This record gives sequence, structure tokens and C-alpha cells, in this order.
Amino acid sequence: MTLLLAALLAAAEPAGAQLFADANAAYLSGDVSRAIAAYEALVSEGVASTELETNLGAAYLRQGKRGLAVVHFERALFLEPGDDDAGADLAEVRRGNVDRLEGDAEEGGAETMARLLAPLPGTGAAAILAVLWPAAWILLGLRLLRGSPRWAALAAAGCFGGALLSALLTFGAAAGRGMAMRRAVVVAQAVPAREGPAEKSLSRFEIHEGTTVRVDDEEAGFRRIKLANGLTGWVPAGSVELVVPPGWAGRPLLTGSAREVQR
Amino acid sequence: MISRRTGNALRLALLIALPALAAGEVELSATADASEVALDGTLTLRITVSYASKADTGELQIPTFADFDVVSRSQSEQVTFTLSNSAPSFRRTVITSLALTPRRAGELTVEAVKLEFHGQKLQTDPIKVRVVPAGQALRRRTQGADRLAEDRMADGLDPFADVHPGQRDLILRAAVDNERPFVGQQVTYSLYLLARTNVSSIEKLQIPRLDGFWSEDVEAPQQLVPEQRILDGVPYTAYLLRRRALFPLRPGKAAIEPAEVQVLTGFGMLFSRESSRRSSQALQLEVHPLPPGKPAGFDLGNVGQWTLSASADPSSVAVGQPITFRLVATGHGNVRDLRLPRLPVLSGVRAYDATVSDKETIERGQINGTRTVEQLLVPERTGAVEIPALAMDIFDPEQKQYRTVRTDPIALHVGPGTVGQPAAEPISQNLLVKGGIRPIRLHLGSVQRAIPPWAQPWFWPALGLPPFGLALVLGLARLRRMLHVDPGRRRMELARSAAARRLRRARALLQRGESVAFYAEIVRAVTGYLADKQGIAAAGLTRDELVSALMARGQPEEPVRRLVRVLDDCDRARFAPGSGDSPAREAMLGRADQVLGELDRRSR
Repeated sequence: MTLLLAALLAAAEPAGAQLFADANAAYLSGDVSRAIAAYEALVSEGVASTELETNLGAAYLRQGKRGLAVVHFERALFLEPGDDDAGADLAEVRRGNVDRLEGDAEEGGAETMARLLAPLPGTGAAAILAVLWPAAWILLGLRLLRGSPRWAALAAAGCFGGALLSALLTFGAAAGRGMAMRRAVVVAQAVPAREGPAEKSLSRFEIHEGTTVRVDDEEAGFRRIKLANGLTGWVPAGSVELVVPPGWAGRPLLTGSAREVQR
Repeated sequence: MISRRTGNALRLALLIALPALAAGEVELSATADASEVALDGTLTLRITVSYASKADTGELQIPTFADFDVVSRSQSEQVTFTLSNSAPSFRRTVITSLALTPRRAGELTVEAVKLEFHGQKLQTDPIKVRVVPAGQALRRRTQGADRLAEDRMADGLDPFADVHPGQRDLILRAAVDNERPFVGQQVTYSLYLLARTNVSSIEKLQIPRLDGFWSEDVEAPQQLVPEQRILDGVPYTAYLLRRRALFPLRPGKAAIEPAEVQVLTGFGMLFSRESSRRSSQALQLEVHPLPPGKPAGFDLGNVGQWTLSASADPSSVAVGQPITFRLVATGHGNVRDLRLPRLPVLSGVRAYDATVSDKETIERGQINGTRTVEQLLVPERTGAVEIPALAMDIFDPEQKQYRTVRTDPIALHVGPGTVGQPAAEPISQNLLVKGGIRPIRLHLGSVQRAIPPWAQPWFWPALGLPPFGLALVLGLARLRRMLHVDPGRRRMELARSAAARRLRRARALLQRGESVAFYAEIVRAVTGYLADKQGIAAAGLTRDELVSALMARGQPEEPVRRLVRVLDDCDRARFAPGSGDSPAREAMLGRADQVLGELDRRSR
């Protein structure tokens, strides 16, 4: 009976819980390198967890790798946009960023907009939309074809209203997620942003680790990045890492290039 | 009570006196133009005394040189005016130049120069000079010469090294002491006027915009101080017009546009005076980013040569009594960008908000700064309290490396409060400052890697199905209504044409000579019309009933009567064969068609 209970409890734990506990123990004992190795092993196994990403960010920050720390805090927020710890840690790291953007934000503050929209309950809203929208049309059809009573018209109007609200929430969440999918973080200590995707191109400015950018395009080992104030340039693909976790949206599980830049 | 006028005068006096107090009263330095000189050569000793006010000067004591003879002595003086921290500051610089000839060969020493000023005694370091036998080659422009140039240009670069004036009488020359600085490192920008003619005054000086730099005046001479220079063998007089300290704000190429000056040349009232305009050359700097290897948490503004010190006063207090904690960073660099470490939360000590004050001084062309952070600490429990060592990472551009400067820990002793002495504040408070990275989390959660419904390819098209379905149902219903035809109504609509068809058939029968069939067909045309159009089965009605039925349907009596007559005539002709000739039959056909036409028009 006891064995059965233990087996059931073990089955209830998420995959990788033991390795996660080991990594936490290493972190708390000060062995940050071992903690990072264990956390990264979990990531490469496909474990998607806000707690894992937050802890990994904290561990990288202890090693002084601000860029990777920001990547993982951002990733935690991608997985759980309302996560309080990840948001606070990210704000703390950003206070020490080298790059300070000057000038007004372009595109009406897309970054701010994405941050606001991302926590919207998009999945729930989409489900409600999928129910209310057909219901509204069915009720309207009954009213038009059969001359159903007045309550059917009122119910149809209510369903349309609810569907409109759900659609707005769904649109908002979709827009926020769309922006988050293109968000990336500079993980190289300093990298020149060039006018074209080639080392010989003229460098227009330099960005430093921890700065969040938007990836607009990719070409020949370079990524075209855009800062919140509109500054745009091409940087080596390995110098920025996408926030969207490996294994999501078509990203391969193992991504090594950006880590090599830092190590 | 001080009157307002007296108060203003005091404030003004204080404003004028403050820079002098802040900058240090006097500075003394001595440099030689070479570290090696031939026995038959001459060494120039340059003694610079810089006073923080333009009031009076001290007493300079030139030593009696044991190994050198003084062959000439000259003195020049320069007063500069700068604004530091929005406060005016005068600096008076007296330069004494001595030409010395050695008395013997060997390792000689130029003795220290002394100065006494307001009871303060200063002295320079002795200068070692190697004197070689007469006629030997010399190693000039060594340490002493560099120091001389440093006085002139702050960093050892001769601003006129690459000037080839040609035939020009007036040249405006801009120069920087470092064309490849790091971000945040001071670059000194100097503007000189080189003249071969007499310069009466500067009418207008236009300093370029210094975008990409934080800048501050180092020297802004109020009067022209000449300095003789030989350029390509031609004697020129050089005048320093302006010197500014620049701190590059970002890496990359940085251009400094040309400066412009309007110069009045000539002599007083006797000779013709001429106004000339000159522009300097543009300058291009390549600002380097800070090199890799930055310590974690390094702030980009911490560039320069800084030292950090901390103090707490008093170090022994009663509980509840305040302690003033001071953290002071002093050194070369841009103090305004400096970020000092924050005092951590001390257990049992309440810390009040810190106040920050900055002080800037200019010393030999270098901007020096002092940032002082003062914080009031109130111990809330007795015992020993230690203020831990505070560390600040800096980048030293001279050594091109990152360094960490630290304070020493400070031990405080907090004793019990004396009886009757109130604590400064209630002691039951614990100051918790927010910030810092949060502790890690110990339980692993998981997030479903599900594609959100709106990202599914079917989601948005599926939402189009309900309106499309309803539109389809409505369309089909309408189509069905359109296709559905009432037979009675259709018969009614087609009654007239059916009657006309029968009348045409009757005409055909007439032409074939079948009179009985002809009349029968006319009767069928009329009764068929009445059945289809008027809904009257004429066969089962008497003529009067037929008339009544038609009139009940709104038909006028006259055509109804004519219709009845047609039916009667046809019946008569059918049952009395041979009656009626061909024209009569034609007429019958016409009568029937006419009366049906009239009834049909009435029925529409």
C-alpha cells in the first residue's frame, strides 16, 4: 500500500522534479555552475516551467551573465505573463543595463503594449468566443426564420455583446503573443549593429548585453534587430537570443550558439 | 538680524569665496624641458604657481642652484575665469621660466622650489638631470618636457605639431589631447589662435556644438596671453582662447565641427585695424567602448580614476542618537555620471534617505570631482554594529583596466541611552528597502506547450461559419418561396392566354369548315376563361346565375350581357347546324375575343 502511494506521488510530480531539486540545492550551496548545468539539462529535455526559467535567470545573473539572465526572466514571463517574481527580477536586472535608449518609443510603444496585452486571458476568451458567436447567430436565425419570442432576440444581442468582448480580449492576447514571439535579448557583452548583414558593413551603433530588441528579419547568419526607439541594425545571429523558448513555435529544442557567445 | 542688503552682500561674498575654498588655495609645480642636457646646453625650468583667486600672490623662493647657473629669467601671468557648478571661479597662474646652464657633467639635481602663501608652505620635488659632456647628442623631450607640455595641453600632445602655416598670418587651431578616448574618459579640447600680426582683441568666438559629449569649461581666458612659438621656422604668437573638458557619451565616431573666431588686428588708434574671421579645422574622434571584462553590475558612468572612502561620525553613540555616514568618491573624471554603491540594510539601524552633493574642481586641465553621499543612521538597539566595506567597480582609462575600489568596514558602538535622554525616534521600526533579485523557487511547475486556439489555422475561418450558415438558410428559404407557385393563381394568370389559344383553335376549325366544333371551341374558350379567371363553373349555372355571379365580382352588366349572348348564340349555332354564314362566324369569333378582353381588363 505504501509503495503504491509512493508510486502515485512520484507519478504526480512533474517530469524532472528531482533534477530541479538537485539544481536548487547546488544553487543554494553556491555551486552556481552545477546549478546552471542542471537547469539547462531540464530545458534541453523540453521542460517548460516558469520556475525553472526564473531560477536559471537568477543563476546566470550570479555568474554575471546579464544577457542570459534577461533571456530567462523574459522567457518566464512569456510562459506566464503575470509572474510576479520574473517581472521583479527582470526590472532589477534592467536597472543595471548599459544601454539607455534615448528618444521617443516608436510604434506607439510596442514593447509596453506587448507587456500589457500578454497577460490577457486569451485562451479563455477564445473558448468563450467560440461558444457565444455561433449561439448568437443561431438565436438570430431562429428569430428571423421562426419569429421566435422576444427573449430570443435579447439573448442573441447578449451573445453578440459577449462575443465582441471575447474577440477583443483574444485579439489583444494574440497581438501580445505575436510581439513576444519576435522579442530577443542581446546576450553578447557588446556587439556592433551594422547597416547590412555582413561584417564589412558600417557599424551604426553598439548594443550591450541585456538589452531587449525585436527581431525583424534574418539573413546569412545575421539578424535585423530594432530597438524600442526605432534604432535598427544587423547583428550576428548568435549575439541575440530569442525569448520564445526552444521547442515552441518551431524553434529547435537545443540552441547553442548564443550560449557559446557568452561562455 | 541681518538686513536684506547685508544678507545679499554676504551671499555674494560667499558665492565668490566658495570656489576658492573648494578648489584649494594654491598649486605649485616645477618642470624641466629635458632630462638630459649637454654641458654647453641650456635647461629650461618652468615653475607654475596657480592660485584659486586673482587677489594676491605668494612669495616664490627660487633656490640657489648648486650645479646650475641662471642665465635668464622671465615671468608671465594668466587669469582665467570658469563657471564650476554654476559658481564663478577665477584662477591666476604665474609661470616663471628660468634658463639654467650646468656647471659640470654627471647626474645633477635641480633643487626644490618653495612657496609661502597665507602661511601655507609648498615645495616641489627636486628634478634629476643628466648632464653629458659638451657636444654629445641629447635625449630631449623626456619626462620633464612631457610635463611641460602637459601643463600646456593637459596630456602631452603638442597642438601645433602638425601645423604648417605657410603664408597665413592668422590661424585658428583646434586640438584635442586624445583622439581615441574611451566612453566617459576626459578629452581636453583646446582652441588656439596663432598670429603673425598684432592681435588687438577677439570680437566674437563661436565654439562648435559638442553633440555626443558632456562638456565643461576648463579655461576661458579673459585676456589674451601670448606665447611664442616657432612654426616651420617662422615665429608666431599663440593665444589660448578656450579649453573645454569633453566626456564622450557613446562609442563610435564623434565629430567636432569647426570653431569660428572674429579677430581684430592692428595697433590701437594709430594704425589701421582690421577685422578678420577664421575657422578652425574639424576634428574627428573615435570613441572606444569600454573593453570587455566588465565586472557584474558595472555602471557605465564609473569611468575615471576614483578613490572611495567612508566615515561615520560619531562612531560611538547612545541608542536612538543619529550618526552621520559619509561615502566620498574623489578623483579624475565626470563626477555627474558616477554611481556610488548603496549602503546595505543594516540590522538594528534605521537609515534615512541619502543626500548627494557633488563638487568639481579643475587641476592642471583635469576635471576633478568629489561626490559625497551623506546618510543619517539611527541605531535602534545597543551593541556593536558594523558598516560593511563598500565596493565600487571603476574603469581606469589611463591603465585601461577595470578596478574595484573599496572602503574599510566601520565599527560602531551603540550604548544604552542615558536616563531622561529621549531617543531621536521611536525604536520599534525596521526599514525594509525593496529591490534585489528574489530568492529562487523550489517547486517545479509546468506549462502546457499548447498552441493557443487563436493560433490554430481553423480558428478564425471557423468563426465565419455561423454567419455564413444563417445567410445560406435565409437564402434557401427565399429561393423556395420564389419557386413555389399556386396552381389556381397560375391558372388565373394564364386564363386570358388560354382563352386566346382556344379562340385561335376555333379559327382553325372555322377555316376547315367544322362549324359545330368551331362553336364548341368558342364556348370552351369562354367557359374556361370564366372558370380560370373568375372561378365560376358556368356549366352548372343558369344564365341569370352566371350574370349575378359575374356582377358580384364587380363586372359591369353590359359586357356580362354580351358574354351571355355569345354563349347563347354559340349554343344555338351548335345545335342548329347550318345556321350562320361565314361572316357571322367570324363576327362571333370577334365578339367572343372582345368580351373576354373587356372582362379581363376589368379583372386586373
